[in-house]
Amino acid sequence: MTALVELKNVTKDYGHFRALSNIDLMIRPGITGLLGPNGAGKSTLIKVLLGLVRITAGEGHVLGFSIKTEADQIRAQIGYMPEDDCYIHGLSGIETMQMTAQLSRFPSTEALRRGHEILDFCGMGQERYRPVETYSTGMRQKLRFAMSIVHDPKMLILDEPTSGLDPEEREAMLNRIRILARQFGKSVILCTHILPDVQVVCDNVVILAGGMVRVSDSLDELCRVPHPSMTVTLSGERDAYRDRLTARGVKSEVISLRQVRVFGDAELLNEPLWSAAAESGCIVRGISPSKNSLEQIFLAAVKEVHRADS
Amino acid sequence: MPIHNLGYREWRGELNSSSTRWMVVAEIGIRRAWQSAWLRRMMFFAWVPAVAMGFLIFIYEQSAKQGGELQDFVSAGAMAMATAEDPERIFRRIQAERLMTGKRPSAGEERHILWSSLLLVLFRRSQPFLLIPIVAVLAPPMISQDFRSRAFLLYFSRPLTRAQYIFGKAVTVGVYLLFVTMFPALLLYVVGVLLSPDISVLYETWDLPLRVIMASLMIVIPSTLLALTLSSLTTESRYAAFAWFAIWIFGHLTYMVIREVASPGDSSMVQSLSLYETFNDLSSWILDPKLGVTQVDTRFIMLGVMTAICTAVLYRRVSAPMQV
Repeated sequence: MTALVELKNVTKDYGHFRALSNIDLMIRPGITGLLGPNGAGKSTLIKVLLGLVRITAGEGHVLGFSIKTEADQIRAQIGYMPEDDCYIHGLSGIETMQMTAQLSRFPSTEALRRGHEILDFCGMGQERYRPVETYSTGMRQKLRFAMSIVHDPKMLILDEPTSGLDPEEREAMLNRIRILARQFGKSVILCTHILPDVQVVCDNVVILAGGMVRVSDSLDELCRVPHPSMTVTLSGERDAYRDRLTARGVKSEVISLRQVRVFGDAELLNEPLWSAAAESGCIVRGISPSKNSLEQIFLAAVKEVHRADS
Repeated sequence: MPIHNLGYREWRGELNSSSTRWMVVAEIGIRRAWQSAWLRRMMFFAWVPAVAMGFLIFIYEQSAKQGGELQDFVSAGAMAMATAEDPERIFRRIQAERLMTGKRPSAGEERHILWSSLLLVLFRRSQPFLLIPIVAVLAPPMISQDFRSRAFLLYFSRPLTRAQYIFGKAVTVGVYLLFVTMFPALLLYVVGVLLSPDISVLYETWDLPLRVIMASLMIVIPSTLLALTLSSLTTESRYAAFAWFAIWIFGHLTYMVIREVASPGDSSMVQSLSLYETFNDLSSWILDPKLGVTQVDTRFIMLGVMTAICTAVLYRRVSAPMQV
């Protein structure tokens, strides 16, 4: 599988401040979550990928084009949804869409037609004829998303696409991203602070912290725990249940008030899990293979940076 | 809910040439600017002087059929407006020349003198005063508003270069300014041709349209770049408008003060402080070289340097938001 993004030793300095430090990164097709605390270098990385800022050192390719010399071709094939509110004063939603498509070289009439089509896809109704400055946050968010896909790009970079949306709209937005990725083969880089969004839609995760890539792997791989284990959800005396397991030579640890992680292969654990429950009088509500949560992974990556700094 | 919601569809069509992107920026700019009622009013008034001068040409051509003093009076009036001299004195001078030489100049020569005088009036007396407020309404929001509403992200996340963006913005301002300078002057020329007795007038005055185009570009290009540079230096368009007025007013006041104090030899350098005087003298030189405007090269160099500095600052400022 060819890489969408390939960066080698990319460094970006703003004066004396190093925003990105020796980034080595390969992003494959699919949906990739780009995570990181504030000031981690996410926005700079996006600008580097779009060829909007010149890198200080290193080299990189996006969709096979060099970020140093072929930024125009890259931007022609990428749809970028900025996090910041951006609009052209005095234009209506549909005029903005038409202009955006025309900037991507669409003929005028076709740009207008395509603009309407994409606004329909994004669930925007008659408000498309109103000036953009009168839009609510959610409507602006939808318009920015619509602008990013109007030219049918191969790859999307979405910066906080669900922030400021109500739960229903957030679900609809994630659904649109899923449709574009699964049905139309678009690759997506989803830059967000909302970890559940990443968990729900992403195939791969990149975590940036302190201007460096701390984690870059598939979500499945990252969530897999190092030792095979099962998460048991209980109702009843948790500690009594754990005592019974220990008596049977099975190791366990507490995850939460009602959850216990039990170490061992699923096949071997089958009998002791149920016997311990019967003996301790607990009711087993659920058993599932244990996974690392994205939050744990994220916090571990960020802690590593703090430790290195101190 | 739309009747035929087709969902997302891939797009396979023929794309325009990449060299047309600046046109999109210009088209949007022109459309947005036209929404301003003030600008529309000023654009309307900008054509009034050209109409008035068209009427003068009409009177001149009518009097030319009969000959006599009315023709000389119209010529003297036009020249007086162009040179700010006393019309009566010019009228007497014309009459004296007639008596001394004993003959009138050819109709073609007279017409050329009158038309270039009228065009000079247009460029020196009326249009600069309309150009200044029109630019003050039009140009300041051009880039500053894009900075404020972060529209630059919208532009530059597309395959649009900074040069194309600046060119598109400059064309927006330039088109409006040409509508105030070049197009009324060319219309005046066309009116003159239509009112003149025969087509030979084209042969006698062929150079005037070219002079008009040169004079217009000489005014429009530096003004546009200066106004856009001011717009790019702030996110508040009113500050750019104040700065625009300040450059014209204080520049001219400084010139007048220094002119009173300094020796006459330094005039061209001092005159460059006043954009009004610089444009006036250069357009006089282009439209009627016989007026004897001197030290033109120094003024052209000063104007060129200003334009180059504005272009460099503009390019740098437009790149700046990406570096944050």
